Amino acid sequence: MRRALHLRAAAPYLLLLPGLLWLVVFYVYPAFQMFLTSLWTGNLDTGYQQTWNWGIYQEAITEYWPWLARSIIYGGLATILAFALGFPLAYAIAFRGGQYKNVLLFLVIAPFFTSFLLRTISWKIILADSGLVLGPLKQIGILPEEFRLLATPAAVIAGITYNFLPFMTLPLYVALEKIDKRLIEAAEDLYAGPWRPQGTVAGLAIGGVLGLVVGLVMDYGPFALSIPFGLAGAAIGTWLISQAFIRVTLPLALPGIFAGSLLTFIPAVGDFVNAELLGNPQSLMIGNVIQARYLQVTDYPTASALSFILMLAILIGLFIYARIIGTEELTGASI
Amino acid sequence: MSDTRSPLPVDITRRRFLQGTALAGTAAFLAACGTPPQSSGGAASPSAAASESASAGASASASASSGATPATSGELRFANWIGYIDISDDKKSFPTIEKFQTETGITVQYADGAVDDNETFFTSDLQAPLQAGQPTEWDLVVLTDWMVARLVRLKWLETIDTSVTPNFVANLNDNLKARSFDPDTNLAAPWQSGMTGIGFDKKKTGDQKSLDVFFDKQFADKLTYLSEMRDTVGLAAIRQGNKPEELTQEQFDAALADVQKAVKEDIVRQVTGNSYVEDMAGGSVIIAMAWSGDVLTLLVPDQKPDQDFQWELPTQGGMLWTDNMVIPKGATNKAQAERWIDFYYDPQNAATIEAYVNYVCPVKGAKEVMLQSSPDLANNPLIFPPDDWTSRLHIFRATTADEDKSWAEAFTKAMGL
Repeated sequence: MRRALHLRAAAPYLLLLPGLLWLVVFYVYPAFQMFLTSLWTGNLDTGYQQTWNWGIYQEAITEYWPWLARSIIYGGLATILAFALGFPLAYAIAFRGGQYKNVLLFLVIAPFFTSFLLRTISWKIILADSGLVLGPLKQIGILPEEFRLLATPAAVIAGITYNFLPFMTLPLYVALEKIDKRLIEAAEDLYAGPWRPQGTVAGLAIGGVLGLVVGLVMDYGPFALSIPFGLAGAAIGTWLISQAFIRVTLPLALPGIFAGSLLTFIPAVGDFVNAELLGNPQSLMIGNVIQARYLQVTDYPTASALSFILMLAILIGLFIYARIIGTEELTGASI
Repeated sequence: MSDTRSPLPVDITRRRFLQGTALAGTAAFLAACGTPPQSSGGAASPSAAASESASAGASASASASSGATPATSGELRFANWIGYIDISDDKKSFPTIEKFQTETGITVQYADGAVDDNETFFTSDLQAPLQAGQPTEWDLVVLTDWMVARLVRLKWLETIDTSVTPNFVANLNDNLKARSFDPDTNLAAPWQSGMTGIGFDKKKTGDQKSLDVFFDKQFADKLTYLSEMRDTVGLAAIRQGNKPEELTQEQFDAALADVQKAVKEDIVRQVTGNSYVEDMAGGSVIIAMAWSGDVLTLLVPDQKPDQDFQWELPTQGGMLWTDNMVIPKGATNKAQAERWIDFYYDPQNAATIEAYVNYVCPVKGAKEVMLQSSPDLANNPLIFPPDDWTSRLHIFRATTADEDKSWAEAFTKAMGL
């Protein structure tokens, strides 16, 4: 009897073991190595020595903070955009998908059957200066002849948003799909009905502000994007935002929002493919810097230090984010 | 991101593209390592030089001349870039490799695409073992000039015993002999070369012959530079009348200043690896610092009626870069690697490979062979550059350890990093 109890108590740890081992070998150990490497001095030809050169962290931050900041802004914006696109999408599939749910979900994941790299390269052809999309718009005179999408910050942010959209949509879908529809009905019965025109106004405001920020970062001026974004927001808001939505659906979807935004934000900040292929010299990200320092300059210490700084920055951000959203609510809501 | 290779046209990943996660896969090629070293241990055996004249001209026959004799059995582990050798129609075998195996009795583990780009291959396959004085997993690898120069500097290469490679001695093009990083021409055997010059869409830009176009506002925003420092800075230096073969620090600074100015003034739309090809195909870029092979094999076949892709060697001159076969220090099967080098420098074999690969062929006599089999290719200046081109082609000199780092650093900074 006692033995059985022992085993039962040990079971969770045994189940944890394979995963933990995996993480220790493939994450903890390399991260530790990277940390040691960041404190080396030397170069390829004379060799490297461990000198505990802590100063490198300050040097790296002083020199590369603009790239760090840019990466966080681009990654953050891409996450918000992915949320703005992904939430209505996930909502529509979860609540209105009906018999087509699986097909629609498949369509969300379908781009993943092509390699990340190829998908990004194909943007170069679709969004070419006088290609499929821009060509006709320029011919009817909506866009000026010298307008371009490629090799701009806009293309980088849009590319990241596109590439990570499924990472946002799927967790949101899972969270929304789990919601007991009777709760919403009950809320509506209790006068948490449609919320017009406030829903429209809220959508308009959210869309407008988002358009303003995106427009500024992407260099299109403050108003070019706020009008279309605002209108789209108003339309979505009218349809989506009701009292029941705010009081029931949204809180219950929080775990999905949390998971989705992390799954998008973390790889987005470190991404270098989109910036390399779709950006220009003025829109390169910290991933590109790390790659160049490591492979081209063979400056392993700085590259490692920057990787570490990026990791810490993301971790700190994550803790703050978890605090704001509230971890307790998260675990509570998911039950 | 995962597979940088499969569905792309073969040449696209050949040069440095994206240093992604393509490190895997190489291991798959390393099947059980069978034969023990068939080595001609003493690379610098005194009798080697003596036998040089004796064995010259009689390469295939395993003659019993004294000293080093060509390997006739064993194994050769050969890492190359993807799409860089002839392949059978069903894509399952490499005819020239098979011919070599039949002729020599040496088993070749040919790793097509094991080298994905120089930096990544250096980091993943060479650095750790060579630093520790261990042999690598390879007997022969194909790497670009500047990486070879780095390996020479680090003393991480075996000397090729030229007494057993008479074809190499006799048939290497003269302009590739005694390069700055290989003064005795016994460390690196050129595999293929390529030229860096002006790629343009003639329908949009008209004829282009001068490097000035890369520093002029005329095509601002429609123009790209290359992310290879030696190509971009090399062209800028040539335009200033300097020779990349003997570039000084001042000349480097001056060339880089021009490059940096062009980037700052938004003349340069993007700094790319191979991906300028998609931009040119899509019409976003109409003029680019371009590799000869890309324009020829990737752009021309797909051009639309309103496009006319051309590659031109600038009047001031262009860059010549070479991918070389080198033997990493301590390679287990050095003799087999030398046997392959000699085999490749047989014009017949070089021509067979050339007909498939279409870069610049470094082997004398291959042109004559090809005139019979495929005259179109033989007369193509991008594969066999005429003499007046050769004199305008420059090779970037070997850089010192300090330059290697500080120039790369200065260049990446100028490129927005």
